Amino acid sequence: MSDAFLTGQDASARPAVRTPDTTARRGLLAGRQGRRVREALLAYLFLLPAFLVVGLFGLFPLIFAAFMSTHRGLNRIPGTFDGLGNYILAIGDLTYFLGFWGVVVLVFLALQAVGRSATAARDKGSPFWRWAAPGIAFGVMIAAWLGWLIRLLPLLLDIPNQMRGARNTPENFRRLLGEALATPATTQLLWLTLAALIVGVVSAWIVMRNRHHRIHYANYAGSFTLATILIGVAALIGWLTWAELQSNITESLASGGGLDIGSQMILISAGFLLLWLSWRLWQSASRRDSMVSVMLRLGGAAMLIIGAWVLVAEAPRIIAQGDAKWWNALLATFYYSLGTIPPQLIVALVLAVLLFQEIRGRSFFRVIYFLPYIAPFVGTAAVFKIIFSSRPTAPINSILSFFGLPSQAWINEPAGILNLLTPGLQLPAWSAGPSLALIVIMIYGVWSFFGFNTVIFLAGLGNIPKEMYEAAAIDGAGRWPQFRYITLPLLSPTLYFLTLYSVIGTFKAFNHIYVLRTGAALGTTDTASVVIFQTFQRDTRYGYASALAILLLLVIILLTIVNNRVAAERVHYG
Amino acid sequence: MADSIARPATTTTRRPRGRRPIFRFAGTYLILLIGAAVAIVPFLYTISVSLMNLTEANGGAWLPSSPQWRNYINAWNEANFSLYFWNSIRIAAITVTGEIVFCTLAAYAFARMEFWGKNLLFSLLLATLMLPEAIIWVPNFITVSWLGRVGPIPWINNWPALTIPFMASAFNIFLLRQFFMQVPNDLWDSAQIDGAGHLRYLLRIVIPLSKAAIMTLVLFGFIGTWNALAWPILVTTTPAWRPITYGFFAFIDEAGSQFNLQMAGSVITMTPVIILYFFTQKTFIEGIATTGLKG
Repeated sequence: MSDAFLTGQDASARPAVRTPDTTARRGLLAGRQGRRVREALLAYLFLLPAFLVVGLFGLFPLIFAAFMSTHRGLNRIPGTFDGLGNYILAIGDLTYFLGFWGVVVLVFLALQAVGRSATAARDKGSPFWRWAAPGIAFGVMIAAWLGWLIRLLPLLLDIPNQMRGARNTPENFRRLLGEALATPATTQLLWLTLAALIVGVVSAWIVMRNRHHRIHYANYAGSFTLATILIGVAALIGWLTWAELQSNITESLASGGGLDIGSQMILISAGFLLLWLSWRLWQSASRRDSMVSVMLRLGGAAMLIIGAWVLVAEAPRIIAQGDAKWWNALLATFYYSLGTIPPQLIVALVLAVLLFQEIRGRSFFRVIYFLPYIAPFVGTAAVFKIIFSSRPTAPINSILSFFGLPSQAWINEPAGILNLLTPGLQLPAWSAGPSLALIVIMIYGVWSFFGFNTVIFLAGLGNIPKEMYEAAAIDGAGRWPQFRYITLPLLSPTLYFLTLYSVIGTFKAFNHIYVLRTGAALGTTDTASVVIFQTFQRDTRYGYASALAILLLLVIILLTIVNNRVAAERVHYG
Repeated sequence: MADSIARPATTTTRRPRGRRPIFRFAGTYLILLIGAAVAIVPFLYTISVSLMNLTEANGGAWLPSSPQWRNYINAWNEANFSLYFWNSIRIAAITVTGEIVFCTLAAYAFARMEFWGKNLLFSLLLATLMLPEAIIWVPNFITVSWLGRVGPIPWINNWPALTIPFMASAFNIFLLRQFFMQVPNDLWDSAQIDGAGHLRYLLRIVIPLSKAAIMTLVLFGFIGTWNALAWPILVTTTPAWRPITYGFFAFIDEAGSQFNLQMAGSVITMTPVIILYFFTQKTFIEGIATTGLKG
């Protein structure tokens, strides 16, 4: 600012000396730009170590796991290519369903990205479609680079096998690495990456050069890049699904069996479509007047019932095709999530509201409540294993016998809770609810996390302005109305955060479940993470474990989206 | 409703406060104390069982008749706790040192510097928070063994596999960035006038002002390392670098029905973290509350 002012003064004072002035100005501009470039370079240098670690051990694993999940082999890395075989093994024909709808969703997202920024560009009156060339070129560049990475992976993974024994020298490694990098299959993609980069830079430069007006000028290449990558991924998934379908059809025709993929596909899709439609109807019903609203709600309910019925009717066939262990794991994870989150949130909310008063010993209680969360879980889980052990003299059983109740096997009990509560009738395993052993793990989960939730709730309560309560008290609102109409709505962001955090947390949960699992519980406590760990560590089925992990990630993403959708209507950011 | 508005505000607010507090606070304290008891009883039971003799521990006694301090010595020797203890401390020290250096630099770049692709890199970083641990086991295990086989030092059963993957986490970078962004801009302006660059400003001004945040990071790092189980099981096949959590986990099976020794081991495993927690609980809980809410 002051520099520009100074130079302007200079120019007006000595208009005769023109050349040094312009060079000075240019030099100033270069200096300023140079400073920005230097700052950016320094920033990249600062980020380098962290991103080396995060990139190699946090982001790259996602691509690597996707790659491994298409390979098969016991204790072999990477094993032989098997397409979507691992997914078929885990969830049966649902794979085709997921593949098909995955492609549809990705293409939709790509179109949406382009459409959105096209609208934004039109509103601002800036050119949009000329950004397509550089955007697509950059997208191709990233896709080609990822392809190069994936082609290079098996070659890199083979290097250690060629370096056994005496040949394990740095020189040999460098030679093998050079060979892997120079393979035609990889260099092709590397050249494609480079070519796309050049095309992108040149076309971006042309677009920037030809700009007519500087006002309202924005860069829309990003949406095209995103769309290109999404369509690339969609094409890859589509190709894998199609190839798997083809081989499946040939196989079943050769063995003379019929095909039910088509009918299943249509039925499941119709089921989900009906559920979605009923949800939309229900939503739009709330905006209409009473008669139409009732009709819409009835229609929605009917669709819900039909959709759910179709899905329920179709479920046994789908489940029978997949891996029973994996379905049980998902069911156990679902039970664990459902049995842990509501109790821990309610307990924490009650305790937080009670603590958030003018009482003595607030910090004392807070410290105590937080202790289970902070204590090493192996230690506390070991105690729970003893407290809830099946011996008749164990603490919980001795309390039961004090009240004259029969002792239970607790942590070793594989039977479902409903079967234990109603000894008369024997329900089949899938409808008997979580096993008693899983209930013990839920109790442990609530015990160890309620303090964490209490602390977060307390922080959320602290953010609610005191004036609200004073105003409500003046209006004569009692404690319950104050809680219902002030605390709860203003606490909803915290509640939403904790719900999302706990849902993701319970679906990721591994450590304490792994410590608390017993052989006698017959795998009824094995949640998704535990099954993945066992598949990997005990069975050394790397490809299958990766496929299961990717499926778990899909479940988590889906839950996050659902949670966001539900919360968007209810969370009140006051 | 109309009546209550018509009345002076003081009477409506004072009346419930004047009459009820004893009942109300009695109920409150009762519930709070029950919560505290539930939270603390498992710990007391652990200590109690750890001091029992074998018959008491297996017979379901609540308290030891005479404290058996020898249990601790026996557990310590049987489970090789001295090695595991030392391992955990070494691992935690290396990880936390790396974390401080890497995360501070990255967090500073995100908080204070302008560069192309900042938002993209930051959202990539935050995306890693959503990945379940299960998805990184297989790839990272393969990566780590590959690096160990082609590189100069082995990674499996050695410190690199246990420490390097955890030296930069999105959570820590995010936490430090929140604190760094609170440092007033005027300080940067005056530092620039004094001719200080980014690195000097970071070392001389930002870090001393963010001691609390770095302390939080050290605590989280230490406890996270102390608690890790899945990854150490995967990458330590020999006891040489096996951390205490895995050591104790193996000891649970070894000790079998010797519950008193199990619980003595449990106390040994938990003590360092709990002591650390009691000394730093204020920093700790506030760190959780602020990052939890803003995350």
